[in-house]
Parts: sequence; structure tokens; C-alpha cells
Amino acid sequence: MDWNCKFSEERLSDYLDGKLSPAEASAFAVHSGGCRNCAQLVAQVGGLVGQLHQLREIEEPADLVQNILDATIGPRTQSGGWKKWFSWVPVLWQPRFVMGVVTVAATLAIVIHTSGVTPAKLKRADFSPTSIVRSANRQVHLTYARSAKFVNDLRVVYEIQSRLQPGPEPSPASAPLPEQRSPQQTTPQQKSEKDPPRDRSQVRGGSMFAALLPSSVPGNVVATFAWSPQ
Amino acid sequence: MEPDAQLVQQCLRGEGPAWEELVRRHTRRVFNLCYRFTGNSTDAQDLSQEVFLRIYRTLPSYRAAYGAFPTWLTSVTRNLLVDHYRRTRHDRMTDSIDDAMPVLEEKHSKARTPDKLAESAELSVQLQRGLARLSPELREAVILRDLQGLDYNEIQTVLAVPEGTVKSRINRGRIELARILEEMGLRPA
Repeated sequence: MDWNCKFSEERLSDYLDGKLSPAEASAFAVHSGGCRNCAQLVAQVGGLVGQLHQLREIEEPADLVQNILDATIGPRTQSGGWKKWFSWVPVLWQPRFVMGVVTVAATLAIVIHTSGVTPAKLKRADFSPTSIVRSANRQVHLTYARSAKFVNDLRVVYEIQSRLQPGPEPSPASAPLPEQRSPQQTTPQQKSEKDPPRDRSQVRGGSMFAALLPSSVPGNVVATFAWSPQ
Repeated sequence: MEPDAQLVQQCLRGEGPAWEELVRRHTRRVFNLCYRFTGNSTDAQDLSQEVFLRIYRTLPSYRAAYGAFPTWLTSVTRNLLVDHYRRTRHDRMTDSIDDAMPVLEEKHSKARTPDKLAESAELSVQLQRGLARLSPELREAVILRDLQGLDYNEIQTVLAVPEGTVKSRINRGRIELARILEEMGLRPA
């Protein structure tokens, strides 16, 4: 093969990369062996390629990966090592957290107190599921009984109050005329002038007991009964 | 280690950790490509971020037929680098690029002696300066081949040019870079 300097320069990288056929490589080597310029070029470029291959990779800046991740999937909190296990500690000192803890403790204390549990008297056996269920059942029944009693008491009180309230005023049509009244009959004003003032408690007490009596009881009996405390 | 294709599928299902793994796995590669092309760490960081942002948005359109995920990633990176180059062409001055070229921060093994470290760092700076003086077409070809380690077919996919053009650009880029380095007084051993 008629090899010359132009071929050598054009195929230099193929020769260095081993891309030439054996015949071409042999011709290249023969020519370079006899040509000072080509030999110098081969040495020069061959040395450069060797140096480029030996050039080590540059270490990227420490925060580059993090910046890329922040730019793509958004900022992330990254705390490495043992510190990440204690990253929650500063939360304990926040006033909001302290207030929450105090509120929960106060609520628990109120619940425990109202449920009748005395922490000092608690035994290990009290924490067994059977004891807890039995205690809860008893507490529920007690609460129900107290509630029922309270409702019954309220019912009695309301009933008494409703009977104590004065009835509707009699209508003028049904009321007797002044001239038809018997001499014994007096107006409330006259009666108040004639009768001495009675004790307030007696009046109230008498009226109350009278109101409680059934309506079938005669009026004189009512009067007698009403004044019996005297 | 799960293959990239599997991670991509997990990302498409909305699994955040898979995306994080993809980013961690390929950030250095993308950053190096950007840094070698621009010669500026700040620009390389911004461009790397832009690359992954675009990958994140266009991931559903990725198909295995486009090639392996790293090849697709490199294509996206290269396109953004070209856009960046065109965008900053008028603002850039060749001399200022040389002056502004930063000292490369490389990851060295602990076994290397200080002399070796200094020598390697100096060589890295010189190579970076030489790369900056190459035309963008030749520069990207040399970076993809000799720094990123892509084979000719992958470079052909990334650059979307025929194989002959790829070979020609790599060859011319190497020769040109060797001459530039010689002018700078650095003769490769």
C-alpha cells in the first residue's frame, strides 16, 4: 500500500484507537518509522490521548445533587446521622405543645376523679380485663340509676310548681253580682282588712298542701286540712 | 445495582427514590461534560441543573430505541451545551476564557504524593485551557471520546452526524489540541 503523510494524518485516530485493518496498520507503522514528522505527530497525539484518558473525573460540588433534586422534585428536608432521631425534641418546648399536654392531663384528672377511681388504691388485679369490664358495667348502672332518680325528682318538682301556680281568674259573667252576695261573703280587700295577717309560711304551706290534694276532696276538709299546721 | 432502564420505569411510575438514584448516579458525568466544555464551574453547575430539569420533564418521551439512557442523557447535555455556547458567543472573548480558566478540583487518591498531585493538577489545567481553544465541534468530539469514553456509535447518536464526520472531528480535534498544547509549551509525554 502506498502510504503517505496525508493518509497518516487522516487515519491517525483510527490507528491509535485500533480501528485500522492489519494491512493498513502495517503500512501506517512502516511510513511513520521512516517519516520524522509523522513519527513526531504520532508520539505527540498518542501522548495527548493517553493523558486525556488518565485525567480523572472532577468531583461535583457537594450541593449540586441536592440542588438538582430541589429543582426537580421540590425541596426536601434532609438530616443525616443521629440528629434526625432527635429532630422532634424542639417541638416539646413550644407553648402550644405544653398547653396541650396540660389540658390533656387536666382532662384525665377530671375523668378519673368523676369516675370514682382512686389511683392510690389501685391494685394490679384492677387492670385485668374482667375487672375493667365489671367496673365499667357497675359505673354505667350507677350513672343510669342516678340519672333516673334525678329525672324523677325533677318531675315531682315541676308537678308541684304547676299546681302552685294560680288558676285563671273567674269570668265576670259567672261571678256573682255585688248585691247578690251574702253578708258573709266579702271581697278579697275586705277580707284582708278583716282577717289578721297570717304568717307567710303558713299561707304558702296551706295552699301548697291544698293544691296537692285531689279535687274530689270537699272544700271544708281542705280548709281544715289547710289550717291544720296551726 | 438496578439498570438505568429499570430506574427510568420506576420514575415514570412516580417513585421519587428512583429519580434520586438516577440523579446521584449521573450527576458527576453530566457535570464533567459541562465543565470540560465550558471551563467554568458555575456555568457547569447551572447547566447540569438545567440538563436534569429537562430530563425530568421529558422523561416520559424517552424510549429505549433512542439508545441507552446515558447516551440519551449525553445527547440532552450536548444540545444544551451547544445552546449555551450560541447564547454566550457574543459575550465571550477568547482571551478572557483563557484567563478565567479555573484550577480544576480533582478527586485524588490518598496514595498520590504531593508532587504527583501538583503535576496532575497542572496538567489538568493545561489540558482544560487547550480544550477551551478548540472549536466547539472539535471540542465536544474530543471530550465525548477521550474524557467521557463514548464509542464512535454513541458519539454518532449524540451528535446526530455520520460516522465519518465523527471520526474526522475526533481526529482533527486531537491533532489540533496537541498543536495548541505545544504552542502553550506543554509537550505530551
